[in-house]
Formats: sequence, structure tokens, C-alpha cells
Amino acid sequence: MAVSSKSLLVAGLISTAVAWSPARVGPTSRAKQSPADSVERARALHVLNRLAFGPGLGDVDRVVAMGVDRYIEQQLNPEKIKDDQLERRLASFEVLRTSPETQARIYVEEQRARQQRQRAAGQDSARMGANDVPPPGREPPSLNRARRLAGELQQAAVVRGTLSERQLYQVMVDFWTNHFNVFLGKGADRFLLPEYIEHAIRPNAMGRFEELLIATARSPAMLFYLDNVQSVAPGSRPPQLARLERARQAMARRRPGRVPGRPDPRQLDSLRARIEQRIPQGINENYARELMELHTLGVDGGYTQQDVINVARILTGWSMTPPQQGARFVFNDWAHDTGEKVVLGRTFPAGRGQQEGSELLKLLANHPSTMRHVSAKLCARLLADDPPDGCVDAGVHAWERTAGDIRAVLRAIFRSPEFWAPEYRAAKVKTPLEFVVSAVRAVGGGPDSTLALAQVVGRLGQPLYLEQPPTGYPETQESWVNSGALLERLNVAMGIAAGRVPGIAVDPRALIPDWSDPGQLADLVNRRVLNGAASENTLRVIREQTANLPPAQARVMALGLALGSPEFQKQ
Amino acid sequence: MDDCCELPNPRVDRRVFVKAGGLALVALGLDPIFLTRTAYAVQRRAGLAVRTKTLVCLFQRGAVDGLNMVVPHGDAFYYRERPRIAIPRPGAAGGALDLDGHFGLHPVLAPLKPLYDNGSLAIVHAVGSPEATRSHFDAQDYMESGTPGLKATPAGWLNRYLGARHAREHQDTPFRGLAIGPRLPRALRGSAPALAIDNLQAFGLRAPELARDRLTQAFEELYQGSATGLVATSSEEAFEAVKMLKTLNPQRYEPANGGQYPPGPLGRSLRQIAQLIKADLGLEIAFADVGGWDTHVNQGASEGQLAARLTEFGRAIAAFTQDLGERMADVVVLTMSEFGRTVAENGNVGTDHGHATAMLVVGGGVRGGRVYGKWPTLDPATRFEGRDLAVTTDFRDLFSEVLIGHLGATDLSAVFPGYAGATRLGLMGQE
Repeated sequence: MAVSSKSLLVAGLISTAVAWSPARVGPTSRAKQSPADSVERARALHVLNRLAFGPGLGDVDRVVAMGVDRYIEQQLNPEKIKDDQLERRLASFEVLRTSPETQARIYVEEQRARQQRQRAAGQDSARMGANDVPPPGREPPSLNRARRLAGELQQAAVVRGTLSERQLYQVMVDFWTNHFNVFLGKGADRFLLPEYIEHAIRPNAMGRFEELLIATARSPAMLFYLDNVQSVAPGSRPPQLARLERARQAMARRRPGRVPGRPDPRQLDSLRARIEQRIPQGINENYARELMELHTLGVDGGYTQQDVINVARILTGWSMTPPQQGARFVFNDWAHDTGEKVVLGRTFPAGRGQQEGSELLKLLANHPSTMRHVSAKLCARLLADDPPDGCVDAGVHAWERTAGDIRAVLRAIFRSPEFWAPEYRAAKVKTPLEFVVSAVRAVGGGPDSTLALAQVVGRLGQPLYLEQPPTGYPETQESWVNSGALLERLNVAMGIAAGRVPGIAVDPRALIPDWSDPGQLADLVNRRVLNGAASENTLRVIREQTANLPPAQARVMALGLALGSPEFQKQ
Repeated sequence: MDDCCELPNPRVDRRVFVKAGGLALVALGLDPIFLTRTAYAVQRRAGLAVRTKTLVCLFQRGAVDGLNMVVPHGDAFYYRERPRIAIPRPGAAGGALDLDGHFGLHPVLAPLKPLYDNGSLAIVHAVGSPEATRSHFDAQDYMESGTPGLKATPAGWLNRYLGARHAREHQDTPFRGLAIGPRLPRALRGSAPALAIDNLQAFGLRAPELARDRLTQAFEELYQGSATGLVATSSEEAFEAVKMLKTLNPQRYEPANGGQYPPGPLGRSLRQIAQLIKADLGLEIAFADVGGWDTHVNQGASEGQLAARLTEFGRAIAAFTQDLGERMADVVVLTMSEFGRTVAENGNVGTDHGHATAMLVVGGGVRGGRVYGKWPTLDPATRFEGRDLAVTTDFRDLFSEVLIGHLGATDLSAVFPGYAGATRLGLMGQE
């Protein structure tokens, strides 16, 4: 955030304008509420903090009015919720309208441009390294376009979280995208990710876990990210190589030397050598291991190293076509290990090809270890870093009953007594994404299609889709709370309040129109933005800090302190 | 290593201690670690310098060509395989700077030659990862997690070091583990606190100067009174760090002893690290990235692309050692890169992803002036998969030795889990 020296705060903060003395601050006025009301409001707030990216303006009232349980049921059926405002905002996102084929083409062009640039570079040492993102503005248009599409993808997540009426659905998309993490910075994943999110994750986010798992397993993004495209049965030869070898043999039988119109034997040899160098030599266990450790069974899920090897063997041949040919899923017969395999005690008879993989995925999806592992992760996201057994058990039972219907699992979690236990209210630290989205929602801000807000999330330490390890971003507070990150949150809070964060429109005046004294201002901010969560100390600091400021600055200060308060870092 | 206890985040105002004095707290039965932390804080506030050992890690992202950085000019295969990009033999125009009759430095690394000659620069050649991967992504991940072959390791090796080791003198500072950059690198990520600072000047609340103090104070009050648990302790560290940095005045920093940092990100990073070291803020692990090593095309030889990157690299490290002067006795700079590059040059006058590379270790306690590691030769028969420089030193051997020899670690089972160590290089300390 650039801060202009003419910042609104300067004049205000050093002004010695007429001050209200703290002594004049009256008792805080609270809206008249019956005890039952406040219980209902607290329940609504909890639900909006966990099923949604925090309450927007007036949301708590609305949920109380419709009934908390009805709201939950509504959120479990997102297809019945209209989402026009979001659809309109997303219409300008090119990345969501660009076909996978076009994205692949842009990527191939980008690669070519990059190579040309390096050839031309000479002294201007190109910025390189797998994860480097060159500074914008100095590259050919195709590079800029590829980068913009990636940025739009990140921004789309922020916009969806902020504006969607289908809040639980967006939370679940975020959860599954992270559970089945793919790193946007790894080569072809730069263009494979949009399709992955749109077609593997989103359609299955509230469906059956088995289908979601199979969709990710078949996705080029995942197959490339975890190297399954490199995994082949030892000794397998791709057909182009076999063709090349036949052509070369035919040539050797003819008279040596160059015949016009025929390929030069030396060219064929060097082509062959190049292909030889690039063909993988055997199985690659990466995907097989993470499939069991992270996606399904969990690290203590009861599999062995031999299971990892056999899962890798079963999945040999699950690959993708080259980007030049659209980067689609393909099953390569020639690379598949046709022998018999045993996984988790179950025998997969020899020679069943791609079918084996589908059966394996179903086995893993419905394994008891998977039910427990994934239910525990859901509870960690929706309830507490260290989730209580009751929550996990509720998820597992629903999973057993419904063969992994995600909706049913979620419903069971929300109905478990643990979900409503007071010790979990406002006890979970927000991730950077949750913090930014909840702040924008809290002030009723409208995010635009620029990439600014996604960049703010990145600066806070959670650049979307850029977590390298397949674990995805962690859920626990230790990962998100540190001194640097906390200061950055305060900057973002002040920036949003002061309208300095590009990419959102905030109207503080509409939020907090008028007040008569600092006590009333603090109360207003507490009610409208913090939904009553402010501690006595926070109210006091807001009162004291706004006491001698002119109204416009007092409003910004109060809002900034509220969004930056310890209370607002939690959900 | 201490195996002592961590307090469950007690929120005790340090000023209470200052007022009450240490003995009172001993009487209250408070934890000794707390006392050390507090005592350290008091000592620092009283203006007493607390000198600590610092390890500075520089990650050459993109895979540096170790064979042109530290040239095996005594290996005939080197010249056979690199007709267009080899660094000429020592003595020839643009030739390597001979080190020991077999290896030489790239000529643009001349600023590092005096460090080699005075024994403070050691080189390890043919070092790398036991994993065969030639993917930048995977290899960086493995080198930073410290667990080659295991992708799901959540934390980085430097973070695990910080977490495993309760170095008492380091406990009380938010600056114990720090990366220069917008976010923590994988190596420093994990449950132990670590700080990423892109720019010392911009650290803290961003507002015009007069407003900044007031704003900082406002938030500090907010957090002192309202925060609990980890948010409370982190905020305390944050405001402490802001105050500590405020006195630093990074804008007016002047390198000592005529050290001149080259323009560019690495010079900026090292300059800031030097400043933090001199400020005695308890910096134990510093980390900075330096990119631009993925020289597939037009790599150049004595001049050209790689030479330009190495020029900045050598000058920045030399300026850093000069700037720190005698303080280098407490500092070690360790360079690393995810893998090396092919022995043979490719069709684009560059090099492709290879296997082993070279790493540099600079500092007071280093037994320098030597190239360490077994040289596997560039003979195709001894190369890795017939094409790349083979790894004869596991990078974890080198990293372990530095943690033990420089930082005094004794047990690295948590830092490099499951790794017993194979080679002892003997490049740290007296022997």
C-alpha cells in the first residue's frame, strides 16, 4: 500500500482540534435485546464465521430473522441460491471464459517467447528459477497475458468469497482446493489450474467425495504437479520412439548417405537421443504417496511403502497429452504396468488397464481411515485447529451412512454438540484469505476485477495457489500468527478503512453515518463491524483514539482499529 | 541442546520484571527460561550488546552452474565437454583464478579470492541432493525441507533448527530467524517464529512519520489489553521489533571499512542483514534469495550472462565480509543451490539441469583456503546417469556441519530427521 504524504491521517492525527475529554464519555449504549435474542445472535455470528467468510453488513440480523438452522440448510443446498451479483462481477474475468485449449496455446507461446527473450538477453541476465515471477512490464505480451490470467484466477477466489450468497459452497471450494493442493508456479500448472478448479473441484465440492477424488486424480493439473505423468512401467517405450526406430532400421538397410526429400539419418538419431533422454525410466511414487498420505488415508492410515509402490504401478499410464495437443487427460496403454498388484490387502488382477485405477480410487475414497482423516480436516477448518472427537465422529458416521456424501458429512458436523460448544466460539485465528475477505465483507466493500485484493492476501503470506508442498496451506494458528504478518494485517486494516487498498470500494460514511460522542462511535463500530465482539479495552482504545479527531478521520481510525483489533483476527 | 520446557505463553508484562527485579520472580517459582529471556531483554534495554552467532544462508535459485563458478580446470573432460562456455585455464586471458592447481574461481569472483587466501572461504564441490530429480520445484523443495524424497514435510530445516533449539540468548528476540523478502522461504517456514522483512525501512505500520508513532501506540494498547494466547505474544514481539528497528535508522546506514555493496537485490539483502547483525538484535538465522542461474541459453564463459550474475554475487559477499570486519568471527555465510548443471554444454550454448554443484562457506570459524569434497571426476564413466557431476557430499552433511560447528548445535535429529550423516568434511573450527 503506498501511503501518500498527504494522507488523510496526517492532518487528523496531529491535529489538536477540540477534544472530548474521556471523562465525558458516557456509558455505552447497547441495543435493547432480550436474552434469547442475544443467544440467537451469538449462534448466527458463529455460523457466519464458520460456514461463511464472516458476516457482511446486516447478515447477523438476517440470519436471526430467517432462523439459524434454516440458514444452515439453505447453505447446504447452494444450487438453490441465486448468485446474480457474483455472476455479474465475474463476467469480466477473462480466465473464467478462456477454454483450456486456449490457455494451453497461450502457455506454449509464452514458453517460446521466454526462450527467445533469453536468447536475446546477452548481458541482461534473465530472471530465472522455477518460481521466479519476472517483474511486469518488460516482457512480451504473451507473458503478460499468462500472468494476468493467473492473477485473475487468484482474484476470482477473493471475489467469490466476498460476494457470493453461496458462502458455504465457497468455503468448501477453498477447503478442497487446498486439500488437493496444486502449485500454480510449477511449469504447466500455470495454465492447468483454472480448469482444475472450475471442472474438478467446483462441480464436486458439495457432492460425493469419491467423485471429487476421481476428478482430481484424472486432472492434468494434479498428474503434472505430483509427477504421475512421469510414472511409467520400467522398460516401456513410447510409440513415437518405436516408430522412429523402425524408420531408422529401414534407412540402415538402404544405401547410406543423404537422399533429398528423405530425413537425414543423423537427424533421426539425434531426435531419438533427445527423446531417449527425456523418457522416464520407471515408476514415480510421488502422486501415489500423497494420494494416500494427504488426499485419503492420512499419514497413519495404515498403508505401507509396498502399498505406495503398488499404487504407483496401478496408476502408470495416467497421464496428459503435451500442451501443444491441448494437455488433456490420457491413459497411455504403453506406459501401464500390466502385472498383478496388491494394495491394502486387496488384489488387483493383472491386465485391467485404466479400470484398476478407478477401482483403487474407490477403495481409497471409502476406506475408514479416509473417513476419519478427511472428517478431522473438515472439523479443523470449520471448528478448531485441534478438533474435538465428537465433531470428527459425527462426520465419520454420516460418511459411513451416505457413502461419502459431503453435504451429509457437513450437516452432521454442524449438528454435533461440539460445533456449538462455547469454547470454540471466536477461538480460531483467521487465515490471511479469511481475514481479507471477512474485512471487505464487514465494511460492505465491493471488490473489483483488478488483482489488488488477491495481492493483499499474498502479502499477508498466503498467495493463493502458490503453496509449493502438496500439504497445502496449514490450518493452524501457529502458521499464520507471527509478528511480521500481524503488523501487515494492521496495515491492511488501516488501508481498507482509509480507502487506500485498491480494488475495493468502501463507503465509510454509509457504514457509520453519524455519532454524537466517541462512546457512541465506538459502539456503532462494534455493532456494525464487529457484531458486538469488541472487548471493553478495544472500545476504550477506540474512544480515546478518536476523541480528538475531526469526524472523517475519527471514522477511519475507528474502522481501522476495529478491523485490526485482536477480536477481528479471530472467528 | 536444551530439552527444557516452553512456557504455555504466559502473558507477563516485562516491565513488571524490570520493576520487581529478578529475585522476586525466582521466589515466585517462575520458569528459568522466562528469566533468561527477561534478563536478556533488560540487558539489551540497558544498552549492553549481546553478541550472537549468525548463519546467513544464500539460496541461488534456478540451479547455479557449479562447474563454471568453481572451475575444475585440472579435469580434462571439462574442456572437452564445454568448447564454447569453458572458463580458460589459469593464466590465459579470462582464465580461472587458480585455487589449488585443480580448481579455480570464475574470474569475476576475484573479490572472493582474498577470502580464500586468508582462509575464511571454504568451497565444497560435488555437493548436492541424493534425490535424482531435475525439477527446480522438487529439488528446491527437498533442499529447503531438508528431507530429500519426502514432499509432505511441513516445515523447513531452518525452522526446525529454530524450534528444536532453545538457544537461551536468542529467545527474547523477534529477529532470531529472518528472511529478507516478501514472504518466508520454505526453509524458514514452520511452527517456530520467523520473520520476513522485505525492507527494514518499511517494517511496521505504514503511515506518515508523525501519524505512525501514534498509530503504533494505539494498536499496541489495543493488543496489550485485548489479545490473548499466540496473538498476544506475537503482537508483543511485533511492537518490540518495531521499536528495536526504529533506533536502527536503516536509511542512513553506512557500511564500514569501505565495503561497497553492488546494486541489485542481493547487495540490498546482505546490507540489511549486516545492519541487523551489528545492531545485536539476536539474529541467528538469516536467509536471502538470489536468482538468475537457470542458464539454458547463451550462458557465456568468462563474460556473459552467468558472469554478470556471479559478478554481483561475488561483490555482494565480499562487501558483506568487509562491512562486518572483525564481526565476521561470529558469522558464517553459506551458499546453496538446488542442483548443478550438465557437464556438457547444450545446443543453445548453455547448460541444462544437472546434479551436483558447488557451495561456498565464508566466515570466521571456517577452515577455509581449501576445496572440500571428493572429486568424482567428469569422466563419463563416473558421472551421474552418464551425464552430470555426481554428488559425493550430501548437502545435509554440509548443513549439519555448519549448524554444529558454527551455531553449536549438538543434536540434529529433528533438523534432518532420519538422516545419520555420512561424510564429515571437517571444514568448521579448529582441528
